[in-house]
Order: sequence, then C-alpha cells, then structure tokens
Amino acid sequence: MKRKQEQSPYMELVEIDKFFGVTKALQKVHLDIYEGEVIGLVGSNGAGKSTLMKIITGILPPTGGQIKVRSQELSRYTTKEAKEIGISCAYQDLSLCSNLSVYENFAMLNIDHGLLSKRYWRKKAKKEAKDLLEQYFPNNNIDVMMAVEKLTLAEKQIVETCKTLMMENLKILILDEPTSALSTDKARQLQKAVKELSNKGIAVIYISHKLDEIKEVSDRIVLMRNGQNMGECIPDEIQTQELIQMLGGENKSNKSDKESIQKKSNEIILDIKNLTTKSLYNIDMEVKKGEIVGLSGLVGSGQTQLLNAIFEARKRMEKSSKNGIKLNSTVAYVSGDRAKAGVFPLWDIHNNILISNLDQVKKGLLLNKKIAQDLTKHWYDKLKFRAEGIHSPIMSLSGGNQQKALIARGIVSGADFIILNDPTAGVDIGTKQEIYGLLEEAKKEGKSFLLYSTEDAEIEICDRAYIMHKGEITEELNALEITVANIVKASFKEVVHKKQTNHNKKHNWLSAVTGSRAMLPVATMLIMILVNAYMNPNILSYSGLRMLMGSAVPLVFAALGQMFIVVSGDIDMGNGYSIGLINVLVAVVLTSNPIFGIMALLIFIAAYSLMGALVHVRNIPAIVVTLGAQFIWLGFALIFAPTPGGYSPEWLNAIYKFKFPVIPMPIIILIIAAAVSWYILYRAKYGMILRGIGNNPIAVERSGWSYLRAKMTNYAISAVMVIFAGMSFTAVCLGADANAAVSYCMLSIATIILGGCEMAGGLVTPAGVAAGAIAMSFITTLLTSLRVDSNFQTAVTGFILIFVLAIKLISHKKEGAK
Amino acid sequence: MIKKALNQYEFIWPLLGSVLLWGLIGIVSGKFGMNLLFSSSKLATFALLLALAQMIVVTGGDGAIDLSQTYILTLCAYVSSHLMNTNILLGLAAAVLVGALCGLANGVINIYLKVPAMITTLATGYIIFTVVLLAAPKMKTLPNSEFVSFINSNFHGFSMLTVICIIVALLLAVLLYKTKYGKQLHATGQNRTAAKYTGINVNFIIVAAFTLGGALCGLAGVLCGAFIGGAFQDMGSTYFLPSIAAAFVGGTAASGGKSNVAGVCLGSLMMSFMTTFLNAARLSPGFQKLILGAFLVLILVASVSNSSKKK
Repeated sequence: MKRKQEQSPYMELVEIDKFFGVTKALQKVHLDIYEGEVIGLVGSNGAGKSTLMKIITGILPPTGGQIKVRSQELSRYTTKEAKEIGISCAYQDLSLCSNLSVYENFAMLNIDHGLLSKRYWRKKAKKEAKDLLEQYFPNNNIDVMMAVEKLTLAEKQIVETCKTLMMENLKILILDEPTSALSTDKARQLQKAVKELSNKGIAVIYISHKLDEIKEVSDRIVLMRNGQNMGECIPDEIQTQELIQMLGGENKSNKSDKESIQKKSNEIILDIKNLTTKSLYNIDMEVKKGEIVGLSGLVGSGQTQLLNAIFEARKRMEKSSKNGIKLNSTVAYVSGDRAKAGVFPLWDIHNNILISNLDQVKKGLLLNKKIAQDLTKHWYDKLKFRAEGIHSPIMSLSGGNQQKALIARGIVSGADFIILNDPTAGVDIGTKQEIYGLLEEAKKEGKSFLLYSTEDAEIEICDRAYIMHKGEITEELNALEITVANIVKASFKEVVHKKQTNHNKKHNWLSAVTGSRAMLPVATMLIMILVNAYMNPNILSYSGLRMLMGSAVPLVFAALGQMFIVVSGDIDMGNGYSIGLINVLVAVVLTSNPIFGIMALLIFIAAYSLMGALVHVRNIPAIVVTLGAQFIWLGFALIFAPTPGGYSPEWLNAIYKFKFPVIPMPIIILIIAAAVSWYILYRAKYGMILRGIGNNPIAVERSGWSYLRAKMTNYAISAVMVIFAGMSFTAVCLGADANAAVSYCMLSIATIILGGCEMAGGLVTPAGVAAGAIAMSFITTLLTSLRVDSNFQTAVTGFILIFVLAIKLISHKKEGAK
Repeated sequence: MIKKALNQYEFIWPLLGSVLLWGLIGIVSGKFGMNLLFSSSKLATFALLLALAQMIVVTGGDGAIDLSQTYILTLCAYVSSHLMNTNILLGLAAAVLVGALCGLANGVINIYLKVPAMITTLATGYIIFTVVLLAAPKMKTLPNSEFVSFINSNFHGFSMLTVICIIVALLLAVLLYKTKYGKQLHATGQNRTAAKYTGINVNFIIVAAFTLGGALCGLAGVLCGAFIGGAFQDMGSTYFLPSIAAAFVGGTAASGGKSNVAGVCLGSLMMSFMTTFLNAARLSPGFQKLILGAFLVLILVASVSNSSKKK
C-alpha cells in the first residue's frame, strides 16, 4: 500500500547508534515506518540489518538516538514496550518448540493463562491454526497435529511466519529472510500475504538477500552499508543490477600492495576435488603455500560446513580421502564464534595461547614454565594486547583482544595451514588492521590461510577468493577481481543443484507403528508376558495377574515421577530414597498421626518443587542437587523409622486388595496412572508448557509463560507420583524400611529410557513408560522363574539401559542417513 | 583483595571448615590434640582417593560424572584380597588394573555409544555390583597380613595411608598442572568444541580421565580392604557422599574445566572431621544423614553461584 502524502510515520528511529565496545555496529541510522508500508531492507553481510531489527524489537538497547512512536518519544524501550506497540518478528533461528505440534505452538501464544481450560479448546485451537495457515498459505498441506520437528524447513518457516501474525494488535511485522527455505510458489504466497497485511494497515519490514523478491514486494527499498543508511529508492525506478552496485559501493582501488605479490610457490597445501556432502555440492578448490585464500558468499551457503570438512581431513594427512579432500600439511582452526568454539573461559591469556602447542614447551615429560611464558610473552608484546599482562583472565578482555589471542593460538600451533572462520566478527577496525598485518607477516613465512568472512570487504585482503552460494562455489576471483561488487554479484548467482534432495515422506501404517515411541516398550511388555505365560500359564489367571501386576505398580509410579522431571530436561537421582521416605511416612507416621502425616506429605511436595526452583534459579545440575537431597530424604526416613517397622494402613490395603470384577485392581490403577499423566501432559493446557520448557525454554518465555513456574510444577507433579509410588510400595511390602526402595532410582531411569522418553527433555510417553515398567517387572519375574541368581537382576537392568540407548543411537544414525 | 585471594585459594574454605570442626569435636568430646588430626586424616583416605578420581572425571566437563566409583572400589577390594595372599604386588597391580578397566569401559560407552556419563556409570555400577555379588562367595576376603601391617605402620606419626594419599595427591598435581595431558583435560572441560578446534583429541582425553579415575578407585579398594580387615559387599557405599561432597567443596567446578587437588584433599579431611563430629555428638544415624545431605546441598549452592559470578 502506498502511503498518503500527508501521513506521519507510525514509528520513527532517529539517529540510532549502537556500539559494542569500540565496534560501531550502527551509526546515526534513520528509519521511518509508516502504517501499511512494506519496507524492503537490503544490505550486504554485516551491514547492521540484524542489529537494527534487534533494536526495533527491544532486545538490544540503542547506545544513542531516539525511538518515537506516533511522534511521541519513548524514554524506555524494551521487549515489553515493543510488544505493546504491536511489533512482531519472525526470527531466523525459529522460535518454535519443536516437540510440540503446530497448533500448540500457536495456542501457546494466545491462550488464556487460567488453570482451567474451556471445553474443546483443542478443537478450537486446531481450527484457528488451520485457518491461519490456510489464509496466508493456501494449499500448504501442513498437518497442524504434527510435531514441528517432523516438518520440513520450509514448512517450519511458514509456521514461524504465521506465528508472528497471531499478535492481536499487530502493527509492524518484521520478516528476516522469510523465504530462504521456501520454494518459489510458497514465496509467492508469502508475498501475497504481505500485500494483504499491508492493505490492512500493517507495516512490514522485509529483509531478504533475494533482490528480485524485494523489488517485487516492497513499496520502498532501504539500503544499509557498514551500519549506516545508504539511501532509499522506489523499486519500480531501479534495476536489480543498480541495486547490486549500490550494495557493493564504489570500487575501492587499494590494490597497490597486491601488485607486489611475490613469486608464487606451486606447492599445493590443500586440494579438494568434487567434494559433495549433505550440504555441499561439487566443491573444487585448492590452496597453495604462502597464500591467503578467501571464502565468501551469503551467510549459510555452506562455508562453515566446508571449513569443518577440511579440518576433519587432518586425521588423514597427505592421503586423499574418499570425499576428495587432500591435505598436505598440519592445520589449525581459528573460530570467530569465540564463546562457543574459541576461548577457554576459566583461563588467562597465557594458557589460552599455549594450549595449541604444548609439545613446544615440554622439557621431558613436564611442561616448562619459563619457556612457556617466554613464548606467550613474545606474542603478547607483538600483538599489543590491551590487558594487564599475560596472566589477565581472557574473559576480562574485549572481543578483539580475545580474538588476537585465538589467532596467536592458531599461529603458535606451528601448523602451516590455518583456517579462519569469520575471525573478525565483532572486532573493531583498529584490531582488524592489526590482525591483517599479522596474517601478511605469517604469509611471508610461508603459512597459508583460508579465510571465511561474513564481511565482504574483508575478502579484499586475500590473494584469491571463492564465492559460495547454496553449497556450491559460484565463482573463483583472482587478486584484482576481488571487489565487494564482484563478491556480491557472485553471491547472488543462481545455482541449480544436480542432486535433488527428496523431502518425500512415506506415510503408511507400518512406519507409523514402528516409528512410535511406545512401540519398543509395548512390544517388550507383550513378549515378556508371553514368555512368562509359557513358563508358567498360571500367571494369566485373575489372581496371578493381580499378584504380578501388583508388584509392578510402585515401579510404574516411580517411573512416571521420574518422567515428569525428565520432561523438563532434568533427572532425579534421589527418588529411591524419597520413595523410602514416603514408605516410612505412610506406614509409620500416617498410621499413628494422620494430620501430621498429611502435613508431612504436603511439605514433601513443596520440598520437591523447591528443588526444581533451586535447579533453575541457581543453575545447578539437577543430578547433583537430587543426589544431595537423597540424603535428606534418607535422614528424615531414619529419624521417623530408625529400624524397619510400621504397617500398611487398612484403607490402603482395602484399595489395593479390592476385587474388581474381571480386571484385577492393579491393572486398573496402572491404566489410570498412565492415563492421568497423559492427560496432564498432552490434553491439559498447561501440559504443553510443561513439555515446552524441556525443548525450548526461550520460546516458552517469549510466548509469555514463566519458565520457573513450569519447572516447579513439573517437580511438584513428580512428588505426587513419588507419593503414590511410596504408598503402593507400602501396600506391597506391608511395612516400612527407609532403605528398601533404593533400587527404584536405577529401575525408574531404565524404565523411562525403555519407555521411549528422551533424556534431553520434551519428549515423553506415559503409556510407553507404564508398559516399560510392566516389562521390567516381568523380566524380574522371568529371571526368578528361570532360577537365575537374584544377583543377576541388577546387572540385567544395567545391560538393558546401555542396550536400549545403543539401539537408539543406531536408529538415529539411520534416520540421519535418510 | 580478600575476595580475590579466596577465589584463587579455594582450599581456604575446606581448611577453615576442618579447623572449625576440629574445635567442635574437641568441645563435644572434651579431647583436643594432634591425635584427632592423625586419625581423621587416616579415615579420610578412601573418600579422598574417590574424590580425587571424581575430580578428574568431572573436570572433563559436559556433565561427566562417575557414579560407579563405590562399586569399583568394592570389586577391587575383593580382587586384591583374593590375590594378595598369593603375591602382594600381584594383588595390588591386578586390583588397580581392574579398576582402570572399569573406568575404561565407562569412558568408551560414554564417548562412543554416546550414552550420557551419568547413565553409563549408573548402569556399569550395577553391573559391577552384580559381578561382586556373584564372585564374592568364591573369593578369599581376608587381606594379606603382611600388607595389613604395612598399611597400619606409622611414618613419623603419620599413618602409612596418609603418606600414600600425599604421594598420590602430589603425583596428580604434577599430572594435572604440569603436563600436556593435564592442560588438555582442563581445556576440554571448559569448552569441548573449542578443544576440538584446538586439535585436542577430545575422545582420548575423556576416556583417559575415566580410566585414571577407575584406577584410583581400584587403589582405594586395595587400601580399604586391607584397612577394615577384609572386603564385604556393601563396603563402598559409606564413601559415596563424602567423596562427592569433598570433590565439590574442594573447588572442582561441576561444569568442568577446573580442579583443585589441594582443595579436594582438605575437603575430604573436612568430611572426615564431619563424620567424627556427628559420631562424637551422638546423633542418630537419621540426623547424621540429614545434616550431611543438607550440608552438601548448601555447599553446592554456595560454590556454584561463586563460579557463575566469575563469568
């Protein structure tokens, strides 16, 4: 929608500055956003587009400048304010909980937070989700019941985009590379949707590297370069070629120093022939001795994968590996992602540099402090660190200085070939120059570099450069041809993969059954029941089943309790003793003083959720907290019952022994337990939050739910399950013993793994867990009837654990290979 | 300044704790003196060796932890008691070797089957325990008397056990802080991805850490079996909590990458004083466990928040 002449902007960004230390990410950037306008935002890598968007969404506070909404200046501007004025952003890194289904991801955002849910809310949510998807992407074929992780990347992108459209008072929609994974027709649909939104008066900021698309969709194109405005234009009045030129800027001719290239050595350090992997296609490249070779192209075109593949080849040096990489020298790797793949945060500069070459400072078997310090001192002086000395902690340095240490590490390693993965990300210009100088110098000493940079201008220092797009090398540029303009041109070159990736998924009932997480535990259970029945047909009778299933009940509850902790990504190592404590509370305390007993049980639930809060707030590994807590449980249990004793209360026995017609009572209890757990997690509204935090807590919090509260709820539900486990345990063994339930810790963990739960959190199957628990307890029965030494039984559980996990590993690998 | 010193010399905390408990025991029992120190450090031996082993494994990072330690200790106590009656050195070597093999199994399963360390060691722990249960009836459980008298001999007032501990601790300190392996282990624990890109063979480092930890548990088993006069099935469980507590109170970062041999030694001493104190105060076993558990959780809350502040 074209804006009217006299219209005033809905939101104005005035002279926005954003500095990271000395790095100037944005300088005096200006952006007016009018209602119903589509702004195409373009700029090469590192131009500051993402930073600007983070300021608009309130994630980053600007260093300077004003933010005005309806001509009113806002003094405070955070994500909350951004939400209030109706700004919504589709993140590139997808803020979806991949374990939840499509409609749940939508519902999380707009459902009321009340405890009780309206009837048929799921039906309503599904319909809403379907309508929403259908409205903007007709014929999308996305099943809203499907878990997000099973969708293709393109489908995920559609879902993510639609999720941002859910906002009630949507005013400004930011789409960051929304079509990077979409096919042409889906991209068309998105463009149509954008037009529709714009007609409704919603402003859209459309960021894309696809220039034709930008021209198609936007009313106004805003150009950015080096963190500054580079002007605006009207799409109809400009050619794509001109746009590319404007992005690349004037051709700087600072190539004078490159004229003096020394006589090139012909020694080939790296030789890649026809490398093709999942994300790379027909890569041919070589690096000669004493050469700095650049690697560029749009972010995510496969550069990092290529660098990793080369680094992996170091294990087979001077041999041509089957994927076509031949590496003839030692190699070092310097990453620009300092926090994730670079620094050792607990160390000082000295150790951070030294670690790559400890052999050099060895005297005999031991490291020599003197030699080591001389070595790092040399580099410290040479690189002019801004720090107190070689023993300054690395984390006290600025990003640029940290990066210097990492580059020094790479050179110190003594490798002749150094891979640089975006080494100047977030590094100020002065330090950058120093780093370039360092590379030049090392080059003269005969070292070779492969430099991947997300900043196109940086490639200009290279002797040669490869430009990639969509996993292919689109262009090889020689010294004088390396200009930002050429790089940009080559980055946008269309490629057609000879190899087409298939996304066809087969849907038939067989794969649905075998793919189900409950398949393994249910099959194991059935086999175990059959084998047991073969050994002893009597167990299939009413009383036989009642006895056998009865002994399985405590394990079912214990495992379900474990499951509620595992769903949030934690583990309870102390449930063996907490079940023991409940056992004591029920058999000793509850029988003698019911009121005190009930109070104690309530305090127990509170203690469990407090444990969850501790794990979250203090960020302590759950395993250690629960390990420590188990001694608290044991301590209390021993105080109440120093020696085994007590008795199972009458009412409990009555429930347990109740003769239900046809189906024995324990089976009914089992089914109810599994069904209730399933209802809480998969039917109740809050269940999707409980599962969501195990997968993507940030997405849950972004949707306005409290992570802490959800985690405490998970622990509290687990405590309730532990109470039931303790009660049924009491009913089975008719007395109390603080130490008797210890084995349930191990058994419950084995059960949930057999039951198809993911230890990483988010994915659990109550039915599978219940079946798994029955299977486990039948295995014990089987071993007993086979007259296997009872001592073997724990070992069998141990083997099952490792075995099941190993099977999972293999099947995951297969899935990956598909 | 004081804060900085505290951060640098984390063993001050367990040292202060030890001194405090020493005084408290004196008040409760009415007996003061060096004897208490000697006996407590002697009793600390087994938890100390386990704690050092735990420290090495945990330093490998990525949630690595060895829950099978106490079972390895028990198994190795049996092995040594059985073989030492043939030959002392054979028994010692075999027990340490068995311990190392158990550790190796843990490491291999953890790294190559990609089973989380905690679950791996939980499972292997039970398997090892089963081996103990099966093998125990067929083994001689009484230790070699010569070795027992060597263990119980004194060296200038210090028990031979304490001397052995000091030697082991010194060797470990050299390994961890003065050798290539030690540096690489600490680097791996801080940031496995960065370690990989630095060219460190992460898999080897972790498997070796588990193996070394297992060997130390084996040594603890040998000494423990001889000291308490024979192996029995449940002998390891007493040391589980003190060893974990000592490892973390001594300055081992739960997230990996940071170890402190001196701190862990003093931490074990403190836990040993703690046990003596709880006994001397004539508390019931229930209260003892309760206090120990609460103590451990509090230590964790304090120490973990310390390290997160530093980031």
